[in-house]
Amino acid sequence: MPEKPAYSSAEEPQLVEWAKAGDMQAFEELVARYRDRIYVRAYSIMRNEDIAVDLSQNAWVKAWQRLEQFHGEASFATWLSRIVTNLCLDELRRQKRARMDSIEAMEETTGPVENRMEMETVDPIEGLSREELRERIDAALAKLSDKHRTVIVLYEFEQFEYKEIAEKMGTSIGTVMSRLFYARKRMAGLLKETLKRDGLIE
Amino acid sequence: MNENEIELKIQALVDGELTGREAEELRARIETDAALRELRERLTAVRGLMAGAELPRTLPESGDFHWSKIAQGIEREEREAKRLAKPASGANGWLRWGMPLAGVACLVLVLSLQQTTLPDLDILFGDGHELELTADEIDVMTFNTGDDAMSIVWLDYSIDLRQDSLQLWLD
Repeated sequence: MPEKPAYSSAEEPQLVEWAKAGDMQAFEELVARYRDRIYVRAYSIMRNEDIAVDLSQNAWVKAWQRLEQFHGEASFATWLSRIVTNLCLDELRRQKRARMDSIEAMEETTGPVENRMEMETVDPIEGLSREELRERIDAALAKLSDKHRTVIVLYEFEQFEYKEIAEKMGTSIGTVMSRLFYARKRMAGLLKETLKRDGLIE
Repeated sequence: MNENEIELKIQALVDGELTGREAEELRARIETDAALRELRERLTAVRGLMAGAELPRTLPESGDFHWSKIAQGIEREEREAKRLAKPASGANGWLRWGMPLAGVACLVLVLSLQQTTLPDLDILFGDGHELELTADEIDVMTFNTGDDAMSIVWLDYSIDLRQDSLQLWLD
């Protein structure tokens, strides 16, 4: 059997193969490479550090158990991201049940009023670095409700299609479209508000 | 289409989710409607801002600690899987396998004691005859589930009831 090179310099597909064969050190190296990315996705949806850490950890345990199911159609990082996203959606559903609110009861109850809001124009701001803009977007995301933030994260960051989001969230495509539209309007409004407050726009 | 439906359709167009004839018709309508054009531009701008805007973060605990929790989680899950798959041992094992076998033995005994006549064939058993069924003549299936502490036993005893063979067998 050929000698294994240092894990840290091994290519990802090789690490995955070793991990599939039961090599925990190879899996540990994969964890080291993607742990932040997986945590970021969990945090984007949950907006809670402790829950995001726990869900990231669970996602890695599940990934180990399901490694045989990974055949490389998507990248390993994308596959992992799907696992942690699914765990986050399960957690949101669990939290909703705990609050005695069914997802359907949370349907667009405030939609008609919110939908009358104008969609603000938010152009990329000169003098504002991409990093600063990201921070403002992140702060705006934190102000959205779970359902609106989730639909934005799934569409914009996880790059799901409407149909996939509907399946994941157990709702209709129409509801996904409506939530996404409202979430974007709200994001535009919140961004404009913060930029105005800081004197970056009039 | 009401106003809300048009807004959602424009969004679908911007997101590349609206295609074909419907998309063409909507594009043509947008070209002739300044308000719809403006909405499309605003949606495109928001979409552009959001693309790749997920704020990078660092896991708020050390990599070693995170890994140790993952490794413990994996170990725990594997232990649990083994526990569920492992056959029972000791007293548990006796209960799991011994009880169904004892049940089968009792049933065989009861059946052999009760079956003194075969009504359709007018054959009377004398005092000296016993109806014995050997294991070959009985199909037995058992199903055990440790989780529910339940055992199910199926018995199928189909003996050859032709008079000549039964008579031969009785003699």
